Amino acid sequence: MSRIEFMQGNTASAEGALAAGCRFFGCYPITPSTEIAEHMARKLPKAGGTFIPMEDEIGSIASVIGAAWTGARAMTATSGPGFSLMMENLGYAVMTETPLVVVNIQRGGPSTGQPTRAAQGDMMQCRFGSHGDMATIAITPNSVQEMFDLTAKAFNLADRYRVPTFVMSDEIIGHMRERIVIPDSVETVSRPPLAEGELPFAAGDDGIPGFAPFGTGRHVHVTGLTHDERGYPDTTDAEAHDALVRRLYRKVESARREMADYEVTNPDAESVFVTYGPPSRTVQQLLHDRQDEGVGHLRLRVVWPFPEFALQEFADAKVFLMPELNMGQMAREVERHVDQPVIPIPKLGGELHTPAELASVLEAHR
Amino acid sequence: MKLVIDESRCKGCNLCVLVCPYTIFQEGTKPNRRGIVVPVLDRPERCTNCRLQALYGRTLCGVCQMICPDQAIHWKEEEPYEAHRVEVEY
Amino acid sequence: MTSARDWLRTDRLPHIYCTGCGNGTVINCTLAAISGMGWERDETVFVSGIGCSSRAPGYIQTDSLHTTHGRALAFATGVKLAKPDLNVVVFTGDGDLAAIGGNHFIHACRRNVDMTVVCMNNQIYGMTGGQGSPTTPMGAQSTTTPYGSAEAAFDLAELAVAAGANYVARWTAYHVKELTKAIATGLQTPGLSFIEVMTQCPTNYGRRNKQRRVSDMIEHMRTHALLIEKKRRLESEGTPIPEGMFTVGELVRRARPAMGVRR
Repeated sequence: MSRIEFMQGNTASAEGALAAGCRFFGCYPITPSTEIAEHMARKLPKAGGTFIPMEDEIGSIASVIGAAWTGARAMTATSGPGFSLMMENLGYAVMTETPLVVVNIQRGGPSTGQPTRAAQGDMMQCRFGSHGDMATIAITPNSVQEMFDLTAKAFNLADRYRVPTFVMSDEIIGHMRERIVIPDSVETVSRPPLAEGELPFAAGDDGIPGFAPFGTGRHVHVTGLTHDERGYPDTTDAEAHDALVRRLYRKVESARREMADYEVTNPDAESVFVTYGPPSRTVQQLLHDRQDEGVGHLRLRVVWPFPEFALQEFADAKVFLMPELNMGQMAREVERHVDQPVIPIPKLGGELHTPAELASVLEAHR
Repeated sequence: MKLVIDESRCKGCNLCVLVCPYTIFQEGTKPNRRGIVVPVLDRPERCTNCRLQALYGRTLCGVCQMICPDQAIHWKEEEPYEAHRVEVEY
Repeated sequence: MTSARDWLRTDRLPHIYCTGCGNGTVINCTLAAISGMGWERDETVFVSGIGCSSRAPGYIQTDSLHTTHGRALAFATGVKLAKPDLNVVVFTGDGDLAAIGGNHFIHACRRNVDMTVVCMNNQIYGMTGGQGSPTTPMGAQSTTTPYGSAEAAFDLAELAVAAGANYVARWTAYHVKELTKAIATGLQTPGLSFIEVMTQCPTNYGRRNKQRRVSDMIEHMRTHALLIEKKRRLESEGTPIPEGMFTVGELVRRARPAMGVRR
């Protein structure tokens, strides 16, 4: 029997992780994500998992990677400043193909910024934040229900593609309380196992090698150095590096259709809002108020890898409007893929756009 | 048992020369194919471990093997066993 | 029962270490201690950070994690706590552990997670070409201390004692038998065991500090190592301890509460 609860977004995210079988949490407290850690601290030991308060975010993500290699589903939660500290080890996780989940409850930046206010300023950081070329997965919930559902889903994506997966939420959703339906169980996808006789970093056509957790006798050498299919460092061969980085990039980018998760409203519209996260709630309100089929809405749940084909669903679009809680980060990505004008609607300071604000921009560009 | 230096691993640091209590290892003089001057063995049958490992069932002394940073020193079984005349020096 | 040689990834040898480098010796001693424990390769994990020392796990035939600079202990904490059945051994160096990883070091000692940490202290950043590290002795030459190091050096073993590790010892790459015994004791002791090994780096330390030959460095370690018992005796007698000596031996063995001990 599923149960109905009234819950905070952060708590729902922790519940989603527990339902997905998360059994390791590396913690460093940071506003506005701390409730996730607090909830895990209470629940994880009872579920047979490990909760460990680490000395900093560098340590928390490091412990998560270590735990992931023992085969456990592992995660941490943080916000902007902590996310910045994690960048080096997240690059390591990409290079070593370590499946893990990071929930980023975004707050105003740069730097310490606005600890208790919402923002979406880390959308580029989660994709390009670590040095070198890399591809990651980012998903963006817009409700407490989705905090549960998408956190659970993040583990499946991480395990399926062996890549760090980010739940890019924010203070608004994290601290909002809503009705939520908690199912009895959630669907889980397991890591592709390392076949007998197969090399630990050799991949098939999908670019995803099999996973052999520590302690299973496969003697995997895991290194952040450029490595060959055996996992041995090979740092000077141009072809080896080219092949590895391209594979890491393609295994995520080429799977963007199977990963795609978005909602289309009024596909025949000429003015189209493109949103992710909480600004989508304002657009939903606007559409509800106006009942205008000339205004479309594309809401992304998976932002990275970016589903550029979703934009083609609006064949008659004349303009794309992008309300974001940043200076227009994803608007640039949309601009790359369409010929129509893309109008960023930045909102900084921690409040959502009001429907009236969006309406006035809409009228100005019709 | 027979004392062996693995020439494919030795880098010629001569730490074995420094530590062997029987001065079995001597600094080499000629570079090998890899350009490394590998130490030479002076009457290796004097090595305690060569003579007594089988009898005691454990490694005796073995300091050269432990200190060799390149994992190049080990003992090999001799087939067939050759009796050695050992001159004990006082 | 395995022998130390069974634990080597022979297809990767010879390793990248310079001629005369002490790191290879430390690998020998660690593997000898581990095989003496009767541990299985399938249930042992080696973790390391970045630097010369941290390349060691790549030459050992087990699961191994070669991580980012300074973070080895944080990764190892995750491995051990997620799966306490695994035996965890960490290889690290002085730059890795004391500089960039200093915070993780003191907290790993405080938490007393059940693992053994072997630090190869060559008093220099070797892999990047010989820059001064937090353990470079005062006055010593390096590429970043061309007028002699102006800073006091860290005593890593004392730091581990103060931070709460259950077993702390220091030996050198010359004292192979004592080192092997110390590592074995560390492996047996529940909680965090820290074994600091003074190692020679002829290429980047000795060359600039009047110890050009490997034998010079070994001789220096041999003559400047002061047994902890002797040091305590000299201190109690009020006899001054000569300049430049460092203590070797077992600094502490205790039973503070430990985390991640095999159930």
